[in-house]
Amino acid sequence: MTTKVFLARFRLLFIVLAVGAVLALIYPRFLTVSNLTNVLWSVCVIAIMCTGAIYTPITGGIDLSVGSVAAIASIVVNHLMNVMGVPMVPSLLITLVIGTAIGLLNGVVVAKFRVHGFIVTMAAKTYLFGLAMLISNGAMIGIYEPKAFLFIGTGRWLGIPVPVYIMLVITVLSHLLLKNTVFGRQVIAVGANDVTAKLSGVDPDRTRMAAYTISAFTATLAGIVLASLTQQAYAVAAQGYELNVITALVVGGTSLLGGSGSVFGALLGAILVGFIDNGLNLMNVPSAYHPIVTGLVILGALILNTGGQMPKWLRLPVLRRARTQS
Amino acid sequence: MATTNTQASPILLECHNVTKSYSGVVVLKDVDFSLKRAEIHALVGENGAGKSTLIKVITGVTPRDSGTIVFDGHDLPIEHTKSAALDLGIGVIYQELSLINGLTVAQNIFLTREPLLPGLGLINYKKMNADAQALIDKYHFPLKATSPIETLSIAQRQLVEILKALSGNAKLIIMDEPTSTLTSSETTLLFDIIRQLKASGVTVVYISHRMEEVYALSDRVTVLRDGKLVTVLEKEQISPAEIIRLMIGRKLTADETKRVMVRKGGEPVLEVKDLTSVGRFYGISFALAKGEILGLAGLVGSGRTEVVRAIFGIDPYDKGDVYLNGKPYQPSVSRGIASGFGMVPEDRRQQGILATIPMTRNIGITNLDTISKFSWVSERKEMALCHLGIDLLKIKPKNPDINVGNLSGGNQQKVVVGKWLVRNLKVLIIDEPTAGIDIGAKDELYETIQRLAREGISVICVSSDLPELVRLTDRIIVLREGRMVKEFAEGHVTEVDVLKASSGILEGGNQ
Amino acid sequence: MSVSSLRRLILILLLFVLGAVLSIANPKFLTLGNLMTLLQEAALYGIIALGMTFVLITAEIDISIGAIIAFTSMICVNFLVHTQIPVVLFVPIAVAVGTLIGMANGFFITRFKLPDFIVTLATRGILSGLALVIAVKEGGFVSNVYIQNPAYLWFGKEIGPTHIVTIVFFVLAIGAHFLLKHTRFGTNVYATGANINAARLSGVNTDRTIIGVYALVGTCASLAAVFISSRMMTAMPELGIGQEMDVIASVVIGGTAFSGGIGDIPGTVLGVLFLALIKNGILKLGISPFVQPIVIGGLIVVTVIVDTWYRRLAERMISQAALRRRAAANAAVAAKA
Repeated sequence: MTTKVFLARFRLLFIVLAVGAVLALIYPRFLTVSNLTNVLWSVCVIAIMCTGAIYTPITGGIDLSVGSVAAIASIVVNHLMNVMGVPMVPSLLITLVIGTAIGLLNGVVVAKFRVHGFIVTMAAKTYLFGLAMLISNGAMIGIYEPKAFLFIGTGRWLGIPVPVYIMLVITVLSHLLLKNTVFGRQVIAVGANDVTAKLSGVDPDRTRMAAYTISAFTATLAGIVLASLTQQAYAVAAQGYELNVITALVVGGTSLLGGSGSVFGALLGAILVGFIDNGLNLMNVPSAYHPIVTGLVILGALILNTGGQMPKWLRLPVLRRARTQS
Repeated sequence: MATTNTQASPILLECHNVTKSYSGVVVLKDVDFSLKRAEIHALVGENGAGKSTLIKVITGVTPRDSGTIVFDGHDLPIEHTKSAALDLGIGVIYQELSLINGLTVAQNIFLTREPLLPGLGLINYKKMNADAQALIDKYHFPLKATSPIETLSIAQRQLVEILKALSGNAKLIIMDEPTSTLTSSETTLLFDIIRQLKASGVTVVYISHRMEEVYALSDRVTVLRDGKLVTVLEKEQISPAEIIRLMIGRKLTADETKRVMVRKGGEPVLEVKDLTSVGRFYGISFALAKGEILGLAGLVGSGRTEVVRAIFGIDPYDKGDVYLNGKPYQPSVSRGIASGFGMVPEDRRQQGILATIPMTRNIGITNLDTISKFSWVSERKEMALCHLGIDLLKIKPKNPDINVGNLSGGNQQKVVVGKWLVRNLKVLIIDEPTAGIDIGAKDELYETIQRLAREGISVICVSSDLPELVRLTDRIIVLREGRMVKEFAEGHVTEVDVLKASSGILEGGNQ
Repeated sequence: MSVSSLRRLILILLLFVLGAVLSIANPKFLTLGNLMTLLQEAALYGIIALGMTFVLITAEIDISIGAIIAFTSMICVNFLVHTQIPVVLFVPIAVAVGTLIGMANGFFITRFKLPDFIVTLATRGILSGLALVIAVKEGGFVSNVYIQNPAYLWFGKEIGPTHIVTIVFFVLAIGAHFLLKHTRFGTNVYATGANINAARLSGVNTDRTIIGVYALVGTCASLAAVFISSRMMTAMPELGIGQEMDVIASVVIGGTAFSGGIGDIPGTVLGVLFLALIKNGILKLGISPFVQPIVIGGLIVVTVIVDTWYRRLAERMISQAALRRRAAANAAVAAKA
């Protein structure tokens, strides 16, 4: 981890705390248990997605299908359990397998057919959304059983909601994967310079396929948690989450050009996004307006973090990947 | 801008006292370079002599530090731009051609200058194609104006590049190693064309290592060495042997220019038999002994890098066998690394380092097998390995967390070498070990390589740096146009010997 | 026959097959009324596909066009509801807004060197929100404005049997074709997409070219917004959101490659018609409308896979032929020596 990412993370922690403090001061309602629980829930889902989605920008790509994968996951898991009568545990496993397979498909097209991740995943987002709507007939399906399933999203253990545990566990796992395993080293190497990585014995194709697979896996997990905690399977529910995920990642110090990323930074980014969203709600800004703010935050974080080329009067380092500079 | 009577002056280009440094390293020092109108002028010198920098300074790609350049009576300011040079009539043809696939010959020639129909600003294709064909026919090129570029051979594409320059009324056309990718019949055609250009008043600057071509073609030759002008030869004085002598002409001690080759015996660690890759190299065969430093010499385009890439397993090949320790071996990168191969590539920045990542990770990336257990990386072991590399190679600064992109060229190279050094190496392949590295780091690297050899590691060293080859290696194999042409395995060898063999000048040949 | 001609032929054949299937399944398919409606559907988003072709050929992408539609239609609605400014005046203003948005996209991408999909993704978010902000509201809720202004509604009408937008589409297609194939700008577009470094070395102002294509597609999007909202006689702030995939799909199916340097307007027109047929087919055959995004997303992926695969095959054959030619030439020389 470079000093720059480290500092960025601490700076981020202070920003998050500052935003939280400002919100608490202006809106006393912010600190109520019910409000904080709401924030927590949305943060959990986004954060779970981030733990896997982080791998794709590290390799220089991006996964825009995470929202739709989550949607499909929630629809499929409900369909398995409540329409086909499959017991809960096998349903969960099958759903995870299906979601992961989608990620693998994305990865194969990216790696073997050399199409940029964002096109492949944008197309995936489209057809997965259609598929989710098809299966559910566009309806908002209430999930009332099995009770064990609902525990995943709405239950508590030692007073803390279960999704928080899931989020923490998977965040730690992803952090360890990225920082301490062979695969984590390979992902960063491929993102930094895939030719050098190849000459060092790493297989960039396999690494990229794995990145997209992991991203879809965590998106599936997030979809399951979302279904459980909202107690509904609704194809439209997770639409637009990818914007929040990207914001969280970028704010957390992950470069969209590849080669670096911080899982805990993404977690802080997810919290910040959750605060901003919640703040906007408290200000009674209708949810359809939130993307403006998110879009601005992304642009701002991008220009500050990942190095767009600023005009001479705002000089910052540059690392353009998509085209070579003359 | 002072404009003298350009019609009368026979001098097209006059460079005086041109100096240029890159990050403190002087690349051109007080160089004078002048060109007459309508002449074929060769620019020769070893790699690193300053030829490409001189060209970049003339064409405006990079600004010079000091000195004057007057082209066709116009003073070129220090920071003049590429398009300014183009407008004045300076055209360059690089090896990486600047043609656009999907467009035709005529479209490429007239890109951004297409003739327009009056009125809406639509392109007048009829005129464009006719003008292009007229230009083609004027020089008798084997081309059709309407052919799509992707159907053309490299030789034909070069011709289109030349036409591009000519259509812009170029008075000077600079060609950088134009024949390295041409067949000999295509080369002959190119020579005719160059002579035609001269006949129509254009000056051609021809940069090449191929002495027989320089000899056949040039009116005058400018020789550069270590960033300085050595001399300008007139037609009568040009001979390949003389040029080589001037290119190298160092006054060094006998130890450094002459070397006794030593053929090391024992069971070969690596054996290559009849290795062939169509279009790149043919029939490469050699054996590498334990602890031997083998040099691969040859000009740009001779196939040396391609051969070692094939051995390391990056590129496939068509025919031939490789044996490792006597057993048949199928090259692949992962198998190679596991079997004890290592490769330091030619392009350090683009292929050797992970610039945005700390040293520990750079060294660790080829050693994931030793620093991890069941996929879990031990950061302690990784750090230890990094410190080992730092100590073995005296990498400065000694900070393992520094991003490798922030190190100096020499230290970057040490990191690239280091990541292999800390392994159980059997064969280390280095391609241009000291390109762009200062003297101190060079010496340290040579010492390291020699130490490796003493410890029993075999080294294949691809190099265009003649003193380096002579000083460092036990044995030298010279490649030319993809084939082995000479092996220096015993007796004395000098830099001149190696360059002669690389250039195809045999003993008793063109003298 | 060249690879691209073969591909075009296959696409035309598929169009006919699709048409045949649809007319068999639905006897009312071949009526004039249905065909005209079909063409109108195609034309509405086809206009944007024309601009998108330029963007894709430069190896860029624009996913903000849906939001541009939403934003522009909201501007028009505001003009209609809150002002007395005649349609003839405010429509050009609305279209110009689209041009400016496109230029902004292009500016951020070229001068700030940010990735294209991120910039247009952010623009999309910002504009869709802004569309909501300026939407006409009653009591804090967005009200569905019922457009009655006859001048504005003209955009949705017909001349004879043909819809005006259809005519506009084909006229624009002809203009776009000339722009792409017969102007310096068009040649620069191909050059920038095929090999941006070579283009720069040859003196092409690639920044200006890229800003130009984004301005173009922005203009197309805002123009289409007028026709779309006019035809629907209403406009919601969600109008057009999500349509970028349809537009991109029709361009890609028509033969334009994401990698840049390849594609043309006739191909896009075919792709637009193809997509319109599919959408119409799904509707008329009674298939669930949710199948539509599945088909569109799936078609993009399949087209890209197939295109990449056969292009690589062609490239490999060309380079192998070149190598063989060189080897033969070298052998001939060696034999002589």
